[in-house]
Amino acid sequence: MKKLSKLIRSRELPVFFALALVYFGTGFANPQFFTVTVVNDIFLGVAIVAVLAVAQTFVLVMRHIDLSVGSVIGFTAFMIGDLSSQGYPLIVVLSAALLIGAAVGAVNGYLVAYLRLPSLVVTLATMYVVRGIFNEVAKGQTIVESDVPEELNWLGLNRFFGVPYLFIIGIILMLVAGFVMYRVRAARDLYAIGSNAAAAELVGIPVNRRVFFAFLATGAISGLAGAVMLARFNSASTNSGLGLELVVIAACVVGGVTIAGGAGTVYGAVIGAILLQEILLAIGALGIPQFWQLAVNGILIIAAIGLDRYLSTRVKSTSIMGNK
Amino acid sequence: MANFSLPKIQLSWDKGVVLFLVLAIFIGSFSSEYFATASNLSFVIASIAEIAIIATAMTYLIIAGEIDLSVASMMSLSSASIGFAFREGLPFEIAILIGLAVGLAAGLFNGILVTFFGLPSLAVTIATLALYRGLCWVLLENKPVNQLPEFWISLGFRNIPNTFLPWSTIPLVILAAAAWVVLHHTKTGRWVFAIGINPEAAKFSGVPVNRVKLGLFAYSGLMSGVAGVIYTLRFASASPDGGVGYELSVIAAVLFGGVAIAGGVGTMWGVLAAVVSLGVMRSGLQLVGFSANALLIVSGGLLLISVILPKVTEFVRIRNSRASTPKIKQKNEEKKYE
Repeated sequence: MKKLSKLIRSRELPVFFALALVYFGTGFANPQFFTVTVVNDIFLGVAIVAVLAVAQTFVLVMRHIDLSVGSVIGFTAFMIGDLSSQGYPLIVVLSAALLIGAAVGAVNGYLVAYLRLPSLVVTLATMYVVRGIFNEVAKGQTIVESDVPEELNWLGLNRFFGVPYLFIIGIILMLVAGFVMYRVRAARDLYAIGSNAAAAELVGIPVNRRVFFAFLATGAISGLAGAVMLARFNSASTNSGLGLELVVIAACVVGGVTIAGGAGTVYGAVIGAILLQEILLAIGALGIPQFWQLAVNGILIIAAIGLDRYLSTRVKSTSIMGNK
Repeated sequence: MANFSLPKIQLSWDKGVVLFLVLAIFIGSFSSEYFATASNLSFVIASIAEIAIIATAMTYLIIAGEIDLSVASMMSLSSASIGFAFREGLPFEIAILIGLAVGLAAGLFNGILVTFFGLPSLAVTIATLALYRGLCWVLLENKPVNQLPEFWISLGFRNIPNTFLPWSTIPLVILAAAAWVVLHHTKTGRWVFAIGINPEAAKFSGVPVNRVKLGLFAYSGLMSGVAGVIYTLRFASASPDGGVGYELSVIAAVLFGGVAIAGGVGTMWGVLAAVVSLGVMRSGLQLVGFSANALLIVSGGLLLISVILPKVTEFVRIRNSRASTPKIKQKNEEKKYE
């Protein structure tokens, strides 16, 4: 009984209902929406944003934000292609991507945790710097299909019992992260920090260290996500990942991970990402011009934050991140 | 004590930005013979006009403790509305008015969501960033409007007669001067600072917090609308994908200009100097053969320095006061900076 009431009051449930509503609503209007192809299109399309949304959840629950992920994923997608075309083995290439992401995450984490700088400003700056370094390294080159490691190419094209491998990667990451954030104390501390950083400090949580490692993890995962991006598109250019950070944050917000911190789960973030992707396809299936897609996304995000405000007992917002 | 010393640090940062601007112009004119030419200066001013006009409104919002990420989308929506209205057969002058009204309405919508519904502005404006950009696509689809009247387009690329100043200098100077005077020399300006420092306290002191915030969001929308008009004329075209990513350039310039993201601190001249320096730097770097990437790295680096430097100054001051102040007082001092 207690479990049931907990489920009903969860933040993910309304999003899940929206997901089902859009699916069946569109399906009844256009039965072709019920085909396996559509589901696969949704799964394949959502993989990149899902992985990044899981990573972003770590920082969002702490009432922080990481805007540098779009630059990081673009950079590592390029580097993976570039290095493997020079003949480096896949494991070396992926380690390099992980290291790049972790390095950016460490810089963000150090500046936010130990120098106590606002994460919005810090990650906005590293977003520019990483994109600049990326462009400087790439010198206008693009990664084409022949540069992409075979294994990634295979991952991007193939399915496991009909489910795209890239989506499975996202789901595994979500399950692992979800378990860690529910069971592991250090990860649960992130929620405490997001609810009230001063109180978290007083009860003995090493706030600085937690913030640092959360940013490190977000950076590292976003770095590795470059492999997913390369596998998905089979190409990378200096525009890769441009503006992706806002899409990712939108997915998290729709999925109930609030900007105000202290609430939301990685499951919600992934469901939010799926919902956005599903609506993209539903618009096509319903015969609405594709041009409406972005506007509908915007309305959806407003609805999500409005619903969150209505469901929670928070007082009116007096800061950009919202109040507790 | 901190009350007196804190603004001093910020002030010195603003002066630093102005100094930086002078330095950038100085170095620029030495490193390339083309830098101080009339045509280059005209180009620099034209290239910063939109960002500068939006930045004046963003300065108010960030000082008041809010943020608006939808400015670039509002600018583009204003431009798209102008193109749409003109394509539908309205006179261009009316289309411009519609563009301004659309910007104002978009800003008001942001403001209503933030003040009446109490939603956090960061999330709201991420949503409307998508919504307004989406409406640009809905209005124009993928067909940009290019056949604009000759007279208006010539305003976009010609200079004011007998000067090297582009026409956009006129609205830029007027709007910047007005923003400056209102922020630093009127009651409304003081209200904005009061709200940014402590909205609760401001409310109890009789400041109409919600009304001021609503006004600021509307102002931000209107300025984005003005920028949209200038943008349309400058590129002689209204397209749905104009100015993507401008919002982050605007915010970076405002923060580089010494406005604290936490609110309550900042000056208009710091911001204006920052916008101009970034424009001058871009031009200078390009003229001596640096790529646009170098500018990305440099502006990111400057943004970081602009937040790190005040911290270092504080740190040094705490260190210095350690020798002379008793232990307990020290502890309190340190707390204030956390």
